[in-house]
Amino acid sequence: MALIDIKNLTFGYGAKGPAVLKGLNLSIESGERLAILGGNGSGKTTLAHWIAGWLPRPAMEASQGEVLARGKAWPEWNALDRAATVQFVGQIPMQQLSGFAFTVYDEIVFGPGNLGLSADEIRTRADWAIDICNLRHLVYRDPFTLSGGEQQRLSIAAALVMNPKALVLDEPTGNFDPESRDNLLEQIKGLPRDLTIILFDMALKPALAVAERFVLLDDGGIVADGLPEEVIQHPAAIDMFGLPAVTEAALLIRESGKFPGKARLPLTFDQAVRLFGGVPAC
Amino acid sequence: MIGQGGPNSGRTLLFVPGRSVLHRINPLTKLVGLLWLAATTFMLPPAGMAAVALAAIIFGVLAGAGATFVKRLILTLLPLTIALFVVHGVLIDRGDMVDHGLISVSPEGLKYMFGIVVRVAALLTVSLLFVTTTHPAILLKALDSHGISPGIAYLIASPLLLLEPFSVRARAIRDAQQARGLDLNGRWVARAKAFPALLIPLVTLALSDLDQRASVLDGRAFRARPFRTVLDAPLDRPWETWARRLLLVAIPVQIGVVLWL
Repeated sequence: MALIDIKNLTFGYGAKGPAVLKGLNLSIESGERLAILGGNGSGKTTLAHWIAGWLPRPAMEASQGEVLARGKAWPEWNALDRAATVQFVGQIPMQQLSGFAFTVYDEIVFGPGNLGLSADEIRTRADWAIDICNLRHLVYRDPFTLSGGEQQRLSIAAALVMNPKALVLDEPTGNFDPESRDNLLEQIKGLPRDLTIILFDMALKPALAVAERFVLLDDGGIVADGLPEEVIQHPAAIDMFGLPAVTEAALLIRESGKFPGKARLPLTFDQAVRLFGGVPAC
Repeated sequence: MIGQGGPNSGRTLLFVPGRSVLHRINPLTKLVGLLWLAATTFMLPPAGMAAVALAAIIFGVLAGAGATFVKRLILTLLPLTIALFVVHGVLIDRGDMVDHGLISVSPEGLKYMFGIVVRVAALLTVSLLFVTTTHPAILLKALDSHGISPGIAYLIASPLLLLEPFSVRARAIRDAQQARGLDLNGRWVARAKAFPALLIPLVTLALSDLDQRASVLDGRAFRARPFRTVLDAPLDRPWETWARRLLLVAIPVQIGVVLWL
């Protein structure tokens, strides 16, 4: 049974609102590392909320189709089981804080405290999440005084400490400078292998760093689904990300030995110069 | 010990870190004591209320919160005293006006004014004593560890907990509106006109944040169980439990006596 199974989902905000997701079908297995990519307005955040079960029950019930988590629709789940199944980390780090804690440590242990775990179990889980997200030096700090990158790491730690089966990340590096982005992506990449990661993004680089399967989302529907080297060859990929970004992605994939096989076609101008021994005469 | 770092918080709180006896008393004992003193002030004559206020100030100074006390008392009591003096001492004629040259003052009005001022001072100083010696995080843990519903604990603590993000948001809106040409440095009429442009986005965004925060809390299983597990709960000595019980009995008795007599 798939961890998340989306069947023919059509959804819009409000009774008369336009459909944001249109007849969408998607299946996500346990342990998968998946990137769902799309431009602004493609329906990424709405889909992320659906996968994480974050939409209000009336909104879910007003939709067509269904989203099943381990074979059961979200409205049938209780809060405890849902929290232990999927955790969501959104785009704006400050909005991910519970507002219930004066220190980073208290923010991390807030969720497990709600689960009614023993104090020892909570401490063990918190220590694990703190180390994974490199927060040890920040445990006494006020969460609201951290930088955006630190807050995002805290959000991920607060999600991981719930010991979920899947982590949904909605553009987690959207507001980061390249160095902070790469650091966070390294940490996401290093998360336990049995944890399902569903990354939503509009850029190829974070997806390449984390995911083994790409899904292209456009206008509320899936236009491509497959291995990264397959999906970036889809015509929609160039429309969505632009030629330079797709070229860079192809280059990175080729460096990893996957694409485009053994072909010697140049991907960049510099490569062409090296390959042909100079600038070809016109 | 990790998890007790509240006092290191950088937020705009009235709490003053310290190791005084008052700091070490369980927050619930202090909270019940505060309620009892508030109920008591309605039984005492003005001199008794003044004594309560004075005692609270002395305890505040001993707890290291003297500066906070003085600042807050001046800011709150001075305008109130002036207003009450004008209304009850000068404007309301009780038939006992004494002429002092420039103004005529009613001694009866002044006595009435004094009664109100010392009552407010007593309530204010004991409240200050509580907030300056109790960090909200510790209060929250005390509430949780005594089986208070997480929802009620959140209701009590959230105004303090969300002070900082709300201030940050307010400053960001002010800066953004100023960058768009909003005049916040002109005459008071211009400032008053500018006020809605600051208030409306602040309220709208706060409401939108509420929705988001509700989802975050839901995602972390908040209120999924009636009680939360608390790490490093504040110490609660047996004598404090008995003191709280005694005071909780005393409060309705005192109110009853005041209403009956």
